[in-house]
Amino acid sequence: MIRIFLIVLLCLSGAAISARGAESVSDAPKKPRHEYTNVILVSLQCLRADHLGVYGYTRDTSRNIDALAKRSVVFDNAISQANLTPVTQMSVLTSQYPRVNGMVSFEVAKDMVTSRTLPEILKYYDYTTAATLSSPEFFMRFDSESGAMINPGDVFSRSFDYYGRTARGPQGASIRTVPTDAFQWLKNNKDKKFFLWIGSGLLHMPYAAAVPAPYKTMYDPPGYTPFWKRLPAKAGESSWNDDPSYDIFSRVYHNDFYWGFKPIYHLNEDDVKYVKARYDAGVYYTDLFIGELLRLLDSLKLTEKTLVILQSMHGDDLGEHGLYFHYDVTEPVMKNALLMRFPGGEYGGKRVAELVQGLDVMPTILDFLDIPVTHEAQGTSLLPLVKGEKGAVGSEYVFIDRMPWWEYTLSKWYLELQHASGGQFTASEEARLKDYQLLLQSNFDRLGYPPGDIAVRTSEWKLIHRKNRDILEKVSWWRFITDTLQPVEELELYDLKNDPGEKQNVADKFPLVVARLKEKLLEWDALMEKRKAAYKKSDKRYIIPYP
Amino acid sequence: MQREEDRSVPGYCKAAVIMLVCLALCLAMNVTGHAEEKKKEPAAAPATVKSPLKFKDYNVVFVSFDALQAAHVHSLGYPRDITPTIDAMAKKGFNFTTNISTASWTVPASMTWFTGVYPSEHKLTNKFAVFNPPNNVISNLKKLSPNVVTLAELLKGNGYVTGGFTGNAGVNGFFGYDQGFDTYFYEKGKFGSMGVSLPKALEWLKDNKDKKFFMFLHGYDMHGQGVPEGGFDYRFVEKGYDRKYTGSAAEQEALREEGLEKGAVALRDEDVKFWRAIYDEKIQRTDARFKKFLEEFEKLGLMDRTIFVLTSDHGTEFHEHKRFDHGFSLYDELIHVPLIIKLPKQKHGKIIKDQVSSVDVMPTILDLLDVTVPEKVRAQMRGSSLVSAMKGKKVAKDVFFETDYRLYTYKRGIQTVEGWKLIYTMENKGRELYNIRKDPGETKNLIDKEPKLAYELEQRLFAHFKSIGHDLNARTWETGLNPVYDSQAKPAVKK
Repeated sequence: MIRIFLIVLLCLSGAAISARGAESVSDAPKKPRHEYTNVILVSLQCLRADHLGVYGYTRDTSRNIDALAKRSVVFDNAISQANLTPVTQMSVLTSQYPRVNGMVSFEVAKDMVTSRTLPEILKYYDYTTAATLSSPEFFMRFDSESGAMINPGDVFSRSFDYYGRTARGPQGASIRTVPTDAFQWLKNNKDKKFFLWIGSGLLHMPYAAAVPAPYKTMYDPPGYTPFWKRLPAKAGESSWNDDPSYDIFSRVYHNDFYWGFKPIYHLNEDDVKYVKARYDAGVYYTDLFIGELLRLLDSLKLTEKTLVILQSMHGDDLGEHGLYFHYDVTEPVMKNALLMRFPGGEYGGKRVAELVQGLDVMPTILDFLDIPVTHEAQGTSLLPLVKGEKGAVGSEYVFIDRMPWWEYTLSKWYLELQHASGGQFTASEEARLKDYQLLLQSNFDRLGYPPGDIAVRTSEWKLIHRKNRDILEKVSWWRFITDTLQPVEELELYDLKNDPGEKQNVADKFPLVVARLKEKLLEWDALMEKRKAAYKKSDKRYIIPYP
Repeated sequence: MQREEDRSVPGYCKAAVIMLVCLALCLAMNVTGHAEEKKKEPAAAPATVKSPLKFKDYNVVFVSFDALQAAHVHSLGYPRDITPTIDAMAKKGFNFTTNISTASWTVPASMTWFTGVYPSEHKLTNKFAVFNPPNNVISNLKKLSPNVVTLAELLKGNGYVTGGFTGNAGVNGFFGYDQGFDTYFYEKGKFGSMGVSLPKALEWLKDNKDKKFFMFLHGYDMHGQGVPEGGFDYRFVEKGYDRKYTGSAAEQEALREEGLEKGAVALRDEDVKFWRAIYDEKIQRTDARFKKFLEEFEKLGLMDRTIFVLTSDHGTEFHEHKRFDHGFSLYDELIHVPLIIKLPKQKHGKIIKDQVSSVDVMPTILDLLDVTVPEKVRAQMRGSSLVSAMKGKKVAKDVFFETDYRLYTYKRGIQTVEGWKLIYTMENKGRELYNIRKDPGETKNLIDKEPKLAYELEQRLFAHFKSIGHDLNARTWETGLNPVYDSQAKPAVKK
C-alpha cells in the first residue's frame, strides 16, 4: 500500500512538472477568443481574384488589398458554391449548400431559410451583429402578385442587430456603391464586441456606374467610344450610356452583338479592353474603400483584436469565351479572392494553395473564436491548413449548383422591368418574347431551382454535368437572340492544369476522369435532393427589384 | 456518504478500503487517471490483485418492471409506501437514483440492456422495420443488426443457462429479444402479466437451479395496458371521485391516442389523481407478486448465489406535459427509471446519486460476473461498468436518449451531469432546454434564455450520435405511419 502511495505521488509530481513546462509563459487559463475578438467579413460582389495584384494582376488596381494580403493568409484556390450572389453568399453564412439551406434563387422569401447563420451563432456568444450593404440583392423584395413592397430586410437580415444599406435609389432599390455606412457604424460601436458584415455591390454591372470621376475613366483606352454608341441609331438606344450594362451584354454571344436576331457587330480587342477598364476602375475604387476601412480600424485601435476576412462572392466573365457577366460556372466566375487577416497579423503572408470553398468560411471563423462548429455546417475549418497541420489537405471536391442567369431572370421579372422602363427590344424580338417567357416559365420551377446544372471542381479538373441538356438548349437565351440552335454539351471536362482558360472540353479524351468525377457529383447531387430544404406550401415568392 | 459493504463478502471489502484511500488521495490532487494505473501494479498490494466485486459463475436475475416511473418508487422518494419489496432490495443493494433510460418506450429501451448500445445502433427503434401494408416487416435484431452480440448470447457462451419470462408485446421473441435465450416465454397477443411470467420462471428453475443461470423477468402489470386479473379494488382512489374513468386498458388507450393526435389530453386534476392511484395499485400488486417470487426463490436456496438487477425500461406520464402514456416524449417521467443492483449476500446497500444510463447495465453485469468478454463485444458496448461506482468512484456522466415514435416524432436528447437537458425534435428542429435540478418538472423551456448553452449542448448531442455512426444530418426526418399499437395500424390497413 505504501508503494501505491509512492507511485501515485511520483506520477503526480511528474505530471505537475510537465504541465508547468508546457505553460511556462502564462499560467492563467486562456480565455476563449470569442470573449474579446471582433469579426469583420468583407464580401465583394463580382470581384475576380485575378484582377487583384495579390493574385498576379499587372494593372495597379489594388494597393490596399495587396497591403492587407501581406498581413493575411491568402487562399489561392477558393471556389464558390454558386454563381449567383444571394445563393453563394447564403452558403457562406450558413456553411450549407444552397439546396440544403434553401436559398436557391431570388424567389426565396424571409423565413423560408431556417438554417442557422453565422450572426445567429455569434449572437449566442453576445456579439453585436451588423450588416452594412450596398447590394440590392440583400434588400427588399416585391410581392410578385400585388407588387407591394415587403418588409425591408429580407432573409439575410435575420440575427443582425443592425441591417443597413448605404444608398437608396429612386425606385427604392439600393444603389450599387461602396458600403461607406460601415464607417459610421464602426465609430459608433467600436467598444462593443461585434461581427460586422460589409457587402459591396459596386463591382456589379453596369460596370463603374457608381464610380465617381476621375476614377471612373482612369483606365479607359484613349479616344475610345463604346461600340454600342457607334451602332446604327435604331440599335443604340438613347438610354444606353457609357457604362457596360447587361442590357447590352445580354445581347453579346461569342462576342457578337445581336439585334433583331442578327449579329450586327463583332466585338474587337479594344471593346474588351474598354469593358475591363471600366471593371478595373470599379476594383480600384473598391480598393480605396478597403484602404479607408483598414485605416479606420487602425485609428479606432481595432486592428489587433479583429479578424478581417475579405472574400469575393463570385466573379464575372469579362469576354472569356466571348461572354460577360456571371452566366455560367467558368473559372473567372467561380474562383474567388479569399484573405484572412488574423488579429496581430498572425500567419500573415502565408499562402494556401489547397482547394477551399465558400462553405469553409463560417467554420473557420467559429473555430478561430473557440466556438464549437455547428453540426449543420457542411464546410470545414481552414485553421488546420492555416497552421500547416499534418493531414490538412483542403477540399478534394468542390460542388457547384448553377443557375442559368439570363434564362432565369427573363423567366421571372426582367422582361416586365424592361417594358416598364421603355422597352429595349426590336419589334421582331417583341413579337416572340411573350412566347419565350412562357417557354421559360414552364421549364423553371416556382423557386427557380437549378435544373440539374451542376459541377464539380478539383485541383486539376472541372466537370460540368448538364443533366437537363435538352431543356437548357430549348430555353437558351442565346438560341433566342441568335435564332439558331446553340448546342449544349451534357458533359464538359476541363483540364485546369493545362488549360486554365477552359478552352477545350476534353470529356471524350478522359473517360475515366469523367466517370470518377461524375460519380462523385451525382452522389452529392442525390444527397442534396435528400437534404433539400422543405418549404411550407404557403411560402410565397418575392421578386427583387433591379437595378 | 460511503457506507461499507457487507463484511461477510470475502476480500473485496478490505480492497475497497485501500482503493478508497488511493482514490481520495488522487481526487484531492485532481488526477484520477493515475489511480487506474496503480490498480494494475502487480506487486503493489496483494489485496488489490484479485479485483473485488467479482462474482464468477453466480446467477443473475434481471427484472424489468415495465413502465415503472422512478418518481413512484418509495425508496426513490415517493411518499406512498407501495414498493416494500423493491425498497428492501434497494436498501440492501446499490440504489442508482439517477438512472436514465436510453429511450421512452419498451422496444428500443429494453434492447439497450441486452446489447449495451443505443437504440440507433441496435436499430430496434420501431415495431416495424418496414411498414407498407400489406408488405410489413417486423423489426428483428438479427436482421437489423446481425453483428450485435446480446448479453444472453455471451452468457450462454460462458456456460450459463438462459431463460426469459416476459409479458410479450415490446419484448416478444419476434423482435429478437429471445436471441441467446435457451427458453424465452411470451404469451402471443398479450400485454402479459408477471402473474403468468413469474410462475413460469419458477417452474423453469426447478430444472435449472443447479446450473448457473441468467434469468430475465418482465411483465406489463404496471403498464397502461396492464389490468389486474379480477379488476381494481381502487385502494388508493380518493373517496368522492366521480368515476369518470374506471382505469381500463381501453380508456388508457383512448387517452394515449387523444394525446398523440391532438398534442394534449383534456384531463381534470381529479382524473390525474385517479390515474396515479390506479398506477399505485398496480405497482403495489406487482411488488407483492415479486415478493412471492422472492420467497419461492429463497426456498430454492439460490439467494446467496444470485445477483439481482431491478429496473424498468421507461416511466409513464400522467399529464405532466399534457399527454398520457409514453413513447412520444423524453421527459423525466418517461426516462428516469429505477436501477437497483443487489449483490449476493449483500446486507448493506448504498445510494448512488451519480447520473448513469441504461447503456451501462450490460457492462456492469459482465464485470460482476467476471466472464470473458471478446474484444468485439467490448468494442460494441457504449456504456461502462458501474462496479467502480459500487467501489465509491464517481461515475456521473452525461447521458443520451432517443425515441423514434414514428407515427409522430423523432426526438434525441442529452442530460448533463449538471442537470441540463436538451431535447431536439428532428422533424422540425424543435429544441427544449431544461434545468432538471431547478425545474424537475421540465416546465420552463430555457432555449431563448440560454442560447449559448443550448447551442453547445446541441453540438454535443449531434457529435454523440455521429460518434456512434449515426450522423443525424445524413438523412431527412419525415414523420409517417409506423404504428406501435395494433389500433394505430388500422387506418393504414383500410387504405
